[in-house]
Amino acid sequence: MNNELFTNVCNTILTGPLKDFFQRLIAFLPNLLSSIIIFIFGLFLGWIFKRIIIKIARLCNADRFCAKVGMTEAFGKVGIKDNPSRLLGRLFYWLVVIIFAIIALYVLKVPAIENLLERFLLYLPNIFIAVLLIIVGYLLGNFLERATLIAAVNAGIQLSGLLARGVKILIFVFAVAMALEQLGIGRNVVVVAFTILFSGIVFALALAFGLGGKDIAKKYLEKRVKGKKEKEDDIQHL
Amino acid sequence: MPENSEILTEKTRQKIEGLKEVDILVGIPSYNNARTIGHVVRAVEAGLSKYFSNYKAILVNSDGGSTDGTMDVVKKASVDHDSILVDQKVERFHKIAIPYMGIPGKGSAFRTVFEIATALNAKACAVVDSDLRSITPEWIELLIKPVLEEGYDYVAPYYHRHKYDGTITNTIVYPITRALYGKRIRQPIGGDFGFSGRLAAFYLTKDVWESDVARFGIDIWMTTTAVANAFKVCQAFLGAKIHDAKDPGADLSAMLYQVVNSVFDLMEEYAPAWKRDGESESVPTFGFVYAVGLEPIRVNVDRMIEKFKLGVQELSVLYESIVPGELLHLLRTVAKASKDSFALPDDAWVRIIYHFALACHRKTMSEEHILKSLTPLYLGKVASFVIETWESTAEEVEQRLEKLCIAYEREKPYLKKRWKQKA
Repeated sequence: MNNELFTNVCNTILTGPLKDFFQRLIAFLPNLLSSIIIFIFGLFLGWIFKRIIIKIARLCNADRFCAKVGMTEAFGKVGIKDNPSRLLGRLFYWLVVIIFAIIALYVLKVPAIENLLERFLLYLPNIFIAVLLIIVGYLLGNFLERATLIAAVNAGIQLSGLLARGVKILIFVFAVAMALEQLGIGRNVVVVAFTILFSGIVFALALAFGLGGKDIAKKYLEKRVKGKKEKEDDIQHL
Repeated sequence: MPENSEILTEKTRQKIEGLKEVDILVGIPSYNNARTIGHVVRAVEAGLSKYFSNYKAILVNSDGGSTDGTMDVVKKASVDHDSILVDQKVERFHKIAIPYMGIPGKGSAFRTVFEIATALNAKACAVVDSDLRSITPEWIELLIKPVLEEGYDYVAPYYHRHKYDGTITNTIVYPITRALYGKRIRQPIGGDFGFSGRLAAFYLTKDVWESDVARFGIDIWMTTTAVANAFKVCQAFLGAKIHDAKDPGADLSAMLYQVVNSVFDLMEEYAPAWKRDGESESVPTFGFVYAVGLEPIRVNVDRMIEKFKLGVQELSVLYESIVPGELLHLLRTVAKASKDSFALPDDAWVRIIYHFALACHRKTMSEEHILKSLTPLYLGKVASFVIETWESTAEEVEQRLEKLCIAYEREKPYLKKRWKQKA
């Protein structure tokens, strides 16, 4: 009687759940195996993609082009020492690996993971666009900083460096604001912060020009009122 | 007649069809030059009557779509032969004024001239600017005769200019062209040239008509192409070059970028030609060289030095990736000097130019950024040159420029050595 009771208890508490667990494990194992195989295949495919992309980029002279438009220099500034073709190869490698990792997780058929992945996949384009906005903003900021600096120096503007940095910061801040807006992070906060920052910059510039440029303004007015003229130049450079 | 010519319209082809062949062709590119082109056309016609009355000649005005009646002025302009003491006017003289096709620019206008010259099998050609005030009939003789009678393929102009006129030519274009290609052509971007029909046909074989050459780099391209391809070259002394006042607001950095970029682009194309060793040699000069009295010009040296100092201070971050450390250090030292002791030595200047050429060759950044950042340094060199030669005569200035040219030639191995190296 006692033995029978003990066996029933063992069945209910220990053997039953264990059996159930092993049955589920056995049912799950093929999914896990396929998942691992898919992931490893993804790693391999990513590696092949990387090699192909690097070769194509080099054939198209991508490194030269990037150096020409100032991208290599911009990457260098943020500590990325790889040449652009290798960078592109790596980007594709990780893109392929991430795609296969997602497929591998789906194959597991775990409802909780499926739910999480679905939400992540829906959000993924926003992340991609936000990252792209920041990269483009950074590169454009660098390019225009240099163009502004050269143009301002050639025009003889004393505060050329400040002006150029202002242009760069403005473009980068604008890009970050757009990226955050895309991600839906504190939409109102971003707009308000951007407005405050932008107004602040304009106010600071007005102050800076007012205080720093009073002598220039004085000279200009003197020139206007008294008719003083800067010495002319007749040189024909060509 | 090139039936498949892309740039000659049916109307133009019909116009030149009846002529079959000509001996001489003179081209005048124009764009809104109604004020000055009449004088140029009359000078050309007088020159042809006076010196080439036995030849069949054509004047081609290649216009860029003027709206001020430039082409009408060309059609109506005629010379009074009695007033220039010419009994025999050129019997077989034709004149056409046509709008050119292709992208807007002097190069496209020249292309039309080359096409017509080739179609008419012209033996000798010349092109002259439409804004010239100092052109005389003798210019036509001097540009055409070396081709027609001496067998030259290219005649570059040689003018007397004020000692501070043409500073880009004097400090960069002339010395570098001379050092690289070995021919001492004093005005490689003069604007008025003579050339053979053979060379016109050769120019047409080059695939440059959609590039910057068509827009603004045609002058240096013509000179370099002729020299680098071993055509027989000479120069003709034309006296003073006085043209219509240029736009005073023209941006110096844009001008410098266009000219220097054209020179550096040609260095890529003709690398095998300029890498050959050997000293430069003078080219035959035709015409009677005489001194010309030129009006004094105003120079604002203080402003140039100010811009140089600002450039060295603000653009150092860019210069770091273009010129080596010791040159940058020298630039900083020069920037600290007062006006009295301000001097940018020739050797340093030449190395700066060679390093800018190398930076463009290696494409370390956008070419436009590289070359526009050269402006403050160029102004520094001009200021240094003006301070040094303020009391000098035009002849002494020419001797001073000779020293600069020798520095370019001396430093050429420095450039050659680095051309193949990676950044």
